[in-house]
Amino acid sequence: MPPAATLATLRHLLAERFPTVPRPAGATLGTGVPALDEATGGLPVGAITELVCATPSCGGHLLLGQLLIATRATRARVALIDSHDSFDPGSFAPDLLAHLVWVRCANTTMALSAADLLVRDANLGLVVLDLRRAPAADLRRIPSTTWYRLQRAVEPAALACVVETPRACVPSAQLRFELTAAADVSDFDRPRRELTAGLAPTLRRQRLQAAG
Amino acid sequence: MFAVLHIADFALHAVLRTGPDATDRPAALFAAQQKKSLVLAATASARAGGIELGMTAPQAAARCPGLLIRTPCAAAETEARAALLAVAFTLSPLVEETAPGVCTADLKGHGVSSGVGPPGGRAGRPPDGPATNPAALLRSAAAAVSALAQLGLPATAGLGRTPLLALYAAQAAAARTPAPATPAPPALFLLGEPTEASGCDAAPETIPFPTVPTAVRLITDEASFLAPLPLAVAAPPPELAAVFTSWGVRTLGDLTALPRDELIRRFGHAGLALWQRATGGEVRPLHPAVPPQRFAAALEFEDALETLEPLLFILRRLLDRLTLELHAAQLVAAELELTLQLADDARHTRAFRLPEPTADGELLFRALHTHLETLQTAAAITAVDLRIAPARPLVRQHGLFDTGLRDPHGFAETLARVAALVAEGRVGTPRLADTHRPDTVHLAPPPAVVPPPAPPPVHPELGPPLRRFRPPLPANLEFTPHERQPTYVWTAEFHGAIRHLRGPWRSNGDWWEQDRRWSRMEWDIALADGGLYRLLRLGEAYYIEGEYD
Repeated sequence: MPPAATLATLRHLLAERFPTVPRPAGATLGTGVPALDEATGGLPVGAITELVCATPSCGGHLLLGQLLIATRATRARVALIDSHDSFDPGSFAPDLLAHLVWVRCANTTMALSAADLLVRDANLGLVVLDLRRAPAADLRRIPSTTWYRLQRAVEPAALACVVETPRACVPSAQLRFELTAAADVSDFDRPRRELTAGLAPTLRRQRLQAAG
Repeated sequence: MFAVLHIADFALHAVLRTGPDATDRPAALFAAQQKKSLVLAATASARAGGIELGMTAPQAAARCPGLLIRTPCAAAETEARAALLAVAFTLSPLVEETAPGVCTADLKGHGVSSGVGPPGGRAGRPPDGPATNPAALLRSAAAAVSALAQLGLPATAGLGRTPLLALYAAQAAAARTPAPATPAPPALFLLGEPTEASGCDAAPETIPFPTVPTAVRLITDEASFLAPLPLAVAAPPPELAAVFTSWGVRTLGDLTALPRDELIRRFGHAGLALWQRATGGEVRPLHPAVPPQRFAAALEFEDALETLEPLLFILRRLLDRLTLELHAAQLVAAELELTLQLADDARHTRAFRLPEPTADGELLFRALHTHLETLQTAAAITAVDLRIAPARPLVRQHGLFDTGLRDPHGFAETLARVAALVAEGRVGTPRLADTHRPDTVHLAPPPAVVPPPAPPPVHPELGPPLRRFRPPLPANLEFTPHERQPTYVWTAEFHGAIRHLRGPWRSNGDWWEQDRRWSRMEWDIALADGGLYRLLRLGEAYYIEGEYD
């Protein structure tokens, strides 16, 4: 029997032995960012999406604001785990914060522990782990098992998980987008909606789930 | 019909239930006030180990080396009495606190609950209305005994025509029941007189009830039940007891065989009262106990607690009793307040506002447990006080499009755990303060229901949002010689030539308050290598306040 068939059989067997709450295959959370939604249909539910913000002012917070708008429309709760306390609520309309749980962490380790707790909560629709300002040394020190543990925690949950990083470092991410285009000084005078529509995240990784 | 819940050696068990280590060890209660500390009461396992009433502490310790020595504790007895009363109220609303460890419930004219669930569970009336048949009464009494056992109080129950008969039955059940301190037997013995009407023809009848460590007795044939009971059961005055002993009257049956009028002629009112007690007494009105209006429990510890486990044990006991009272009053807990008295006279008080009012003991306990797991006190804990703010249970149905919490208590627990991790006040929904002072925000508890979205703002937001550096990065600047325009910026994290500069924007506020006044100048800068930042000047110092992202 070829390995793929063996794997499929094993998965089928496990699904029979350990049934879980069924979730529609390929469920996604629409973001409202055309480039992202067209590429993948949105953020996958029950999986980790890594958003690499490779350059300064590349639009990481702009995308976060759009996620707040999208989830506010559906009234899904959002948890923002802010590893270095850099979120500025004053930059967003107060109504966009009504469904947000902001976790102001002091370091990367604390943020990872908080994420591990929050992704297991059944009340959240989106968990954003912002590691954008985490020192490179901290990110290097995170063992890959931590990311796989987070992935395991997210899998049975009905939420999408976004990890914002300065460089690719989440091996368990199902999707990886990279934002590279830095904002220009003329962007200060443009409506934010227009800036969001112009975001062009590049799809760097897409792991497809095996059928069955 | 009356029911009596009886706890033998009440003072001893009231103290033992406050400690997790006393379940299977021989224990005895010693007088604390007298010059010589003598044994007042002992568990069955202690008696089996040779402990007798009246022994001194050294004698008892020599006889039984593993003996647990306890002294009476008024607070523990108060708490145990409240627990007993709470369970009695699940049998009937008309309850009398007859004596310490004895509660009498009048079952006449009232439906009897089909079962007192375990503490924290839901007790309810049987669906088919008041239960009046003996089997249903036995089941209800057995459930009450089971609930008391879970509260750490080994009890017996008696059911009889009069309060006194019910008490005799409860005492007789205790005499025929395995020792309460021994592990729970696998079955409950319902001890009844063998009559057809009782519905329990075979005595003893055994029904599966794995957690009840004691017995329930229903009296249906009073004469045959009372006849073999020893005379001491009727509590004769000492002088009468001596006379009857000399006459050879040993049992209640012997006494009632004597002519009643002759007894009254010889012994007067005392003789009549004894006769009446020997025949089971008369139906009398009970002195009704008032259901609790405040839901609070407090306990002082004999030895200060230094670890979490015994504290949790005690809190669980207190919560189980309080939730029973809430159930009986058809209320739920809206808020918990826990106060810990410390050995250094300090107090730790914490209020828990529950996301959804509940009377589920498990959920309330989890709220306390989550908090206490991360709590460190400077001194040992000498007393605990727990108060519940009651509320009517919610009966409102959520709207079709309401997005309430799927698991409100789970959410509260998650937030409590995260708060324990990142510090209190660092988790919540951001609320902007009504001020122009920058970065003034506080965190509020997330709303139970996410409100509908507001209409879009009239003036759309411009530009990218700011990613703040907290604290702002100190910056060094290079200026043009004449215009004093910054051309280059250095910080600990980055540096670069400034390609564009917008500003300055000046702002100030709170100038009327000496210690809160603020004034600042801001520029938006674009670096030649990419990146938009906010440059801030406070006094003569420059900072990078954040990155536009």
